[in-house]
Amino acid sequence: MDTLIQFSIIALLLPLVSFVFLIFTNKKLPREGDFIAAGAVGVSLILSLYIFFQVVVGEYNPDYSLTWNFTWIDFGDVPGVGPLQIKMGILIDNLTAIMLVVVNLISFLVHVFSMGYMAGDKYYGRFFAYLGIFTFSMLGIVLADNLLAIYIFWELVGLSSYLLIGFFFEKDSAANAQKKAFMTNRIGDIGMWLGILILYSQFHTFGYEEIFQGIQDGRFTMSEGWLTAAGILLFCGCIGKSAQFPLHVWLPDAMEGPTPVSALIHAATMVAAGVYFVARIFVLLTVDALHVIAIIGAFTAFMAATIAITQHDIKRVLAYSTVSQLGYMVMGLGVGAFAPAFFHLVTHAFFKACLFLGSGAVIHAAHHEQDMRWMGGLRTKMPWTFATFTIAMLALAGLPLTSGFMSKDAILAGALGFAAVEGGLYYLIPALGFTAALMTAFYMGRQMWLVFFGENRAHLKPEDPHDDHHHAHDDHHGHEVHEVSWEMRLPLVILAALSIFFVYSINPLDGAKGWFLHVIKTPNTVVQSTGDYHNHTEDHAKASGLFIKEAYAESKSDTHTESHDAEHASVFSDPRQAAIDHATHDAHYMAIAFSSIMLLFGFGLAYVVYFKGIIDPDKTAEKIKPLYLYSFNKWYWDEIYDATIIRGSFMLSNMMAWFDKNIVDGMVNFVGSSSKWFAFKNGRFDQLVVDGAVNFTAFIIQFFGLVFRKIQTGHVQTYVALALVAIIGYFVYFFIG
Amino acid sequence: MLPEIGLNHYLIISAILFSLGLFGVMTRKNAVVVLMGVELILNAANINLLAFGKYNGSMQGIMFSLFVIVLAAAEAAVALAIIINIYNTFKTVDLSEVDTMKE
Repeated sequence: MDTLIQFSIIALLLPLVSFVFLIFTNKKLPREGDFIAAGAVGVSLILSLYIFFQVVVGEYNPDYSLTWNFTWIDFGDVPGVGPLQIKMGILIDNLTAIMLVVVNLISFLVHVFSMGYMAGDKYYGRFFAYLGIFTFSMLGIVLADNLLAIYIFWELVGLSSYLLIGFFFEKDSAANAQKKAFMTNRIGDIGMWLGILILYSQFHTFGYEEIFQGIQDGRFTMSEGWLTAAGILLFCGCIGKSAQFPLHVWLPDAMEGPTPVSALIHAATMVAAGVYFVARIFVLLTVDALHVIAIIGAFTAFMAATIAITQHDIKRVLAYSTVSQLGYMVMGLGVGAFAPAFFHLVTHAFFKACLFLGSGAVIHAAHHEQDMRWMGGLRTKMPWTFATFTIAMLALAGLPLTSGFMSKDAILAGALGFAAVEGGLYYLIPALGFTAALMTAFYMGRQMWLVFFGENRAHLKPEDPHDDHHHAHDDHHGHEVHEVSWEMRLPLVILAALSIFFVYSINPLDGAKGWFLHVIKTPNTVVQSTGDYHNHTEDHAKASGLFIKEAYAESKSDTHTESHDAEHASVFSDPRQAAIDHATHDAHYMAIAFSSIMLLFGFGLAYVVYFKGIIDPDKTAEKIKPLYLYSFNKWYWDEIYDATIIRGSFMLSNMMAWFDKNIVDGMVNFVGSSSKWFAFKNGRFDQLVVDGAVNFTAFIIQFFGLVFRKIQTGHVQTYVALALVAIIGYFVYFFIG
Repeated sequence: MLPEIGLNHYLIISAILFSLGLFGVMTRKNAVVVLMGVELILNAANINLLAFGKYNGSMQGIMFSLFVIVLAAAEAAVALAIIINIYNTFKTVDLSEVDTMKE
């Protein structure tokens, strides 16, 4: 076994060991064992960094991949299924190596942050145990080399998310949020499982490599529609986990969990797992499936951004922002901007974790006040939090010189390129993307100015005697807001540093020159384009041909680096992807220009409204009340789902109950009463006929018994006489008769 | 002129003796007399055996009758012991009184 594989297995299992150990012993340990959890993840992080430097820095090869697997369960030849052999294994390539570091680093920083944030909580030790099982499951998703393994860890992640959202389970809202998250995720997971089964039915394996090879060799015997269906069904898993429309409703509610959990799970890692999974299976997605993914991603990005504008809760703004950014990533994958999407996943993980931890610090300092309307003026009181929050905020908005700028612009350029190739209505996708970018800048500016600038408005908050949670903290209200302790500041600083451009690329304007986009390349699709597809989009195919020629010409005459040449050469096997890549390259500067305009406009608007106060936000909201309420009430998705799906299922359940109560129970009762009736009749028959027959037989036998007992006198001589009669009779019979 | 004594005469004697024995067994009340009837039956059988033995010209009948005599002696001993036990139990040897076998 390779050293890297051994290291990755150790890195995978350490958090699990910490979980098992802490869940049983946390009350008996000093500090409830938080140092064990943090230490396990810390060692895991060091191993991940070693793997990262070996793979990404050492090899520096986009095609590097290392696999190891073993047969986990061998069922032999199962009737009706065929040979059933389940393998487990580990796949390490550049995606994995980068994700390992992202997951472990953020997990470690969240552990450190939680030591400050969760201090004094009743279930302090259990919290760290739960973080352990979450980290374990997330690393499992990252390292898995087959669909079954990723599905198992997928569910484990869902479980740990459930446990952590409902960590404050004494609050009803938290208990409801955890249920909502779990059940919403299940819907997506069922789709994902069906997708896995479609692929399994064809290839009798769960392994990525075998499935991809199988599709490439044309061993997928069903029609291309089924492959599209498999892709979309697998994407359903991503819809659930990455909170895409229409299953996005759980993520904002999941903010009931402790803020470090929101940073770790619901901003940086678990929700990114969906995107990571789609990136893993990217090569088997057909063009139709990619279109669906792009549309859903673009719509989610736009919709969530519009909702984020009007929310008051500091964490809900960030939650909708997360949904929106995940929409960007999914859109990026859908339009074929594979590397930028994954790039955005990583950069977003860092700056959004920083934002969440920063908001956690604010909430902690403001005595569990989450409503931005009652904050303000924290800039001078919390300079560290302010500085790091600002950097991360600018990265999210996509200001040049930050990581978010590079990744977001690459995605938007990809969307423009995609629209250039597909044409027509597909221009809506980049349009939605740019609008979302505008709104991102606006709502982040709004949050910034509301929380950190102006006067502190805590005293304006109306007292609500019915709210137990806030009531309990009433006695703190007089206290001064103060900067948080060092263990909460340190993660903020590290994450903020990772949100700056030079971590990823020397050139702040073009991420493509950096190491990141060198090691992550769009993989070649394994789907054979059918003739049908070519006929359907003949004009596109011609256009792609043209693009390819141009790209060839350009790359030959180009004085660009070798890597740029290789980038084009690697995608020539797929004309569509080549065309998109080429168009993306052309659209690069346009994307930068557009998104910079959007950024300036968004920030400018937020500045004018919330800092200068030239436009009164409340009056404006009053003027456009229907729109404002539509956004404030989250597009009424919860109400729509309540009215349709939840009511629908209640109605269905009631109908089922009625059917059960009246029809099924009626049938059962009818069968019951009719068998009772029959049993009574049968009983009469038994009593009369069968008993009569039995009694009659007994009577006959008794009668003969009475007759024959007369013979038994007990006198020896009678017996002798009878024997004599018998012998005489015998003689008479034989000699005379 | 008496006819020469033949096999039939022996058989008739034997039959008469058997009948007398059987009559005694079936009619007498006294167990000892019943036992005597049994002895008569045995001796009727002996006569039969000896007669057939004589006219057959072999020693088998004689030998067999000797066995019967020995057995009869043994039987008499056992039967008398039984009668003593019956007497001890029922204080009578009247067989019409001894009818516990019917229950």
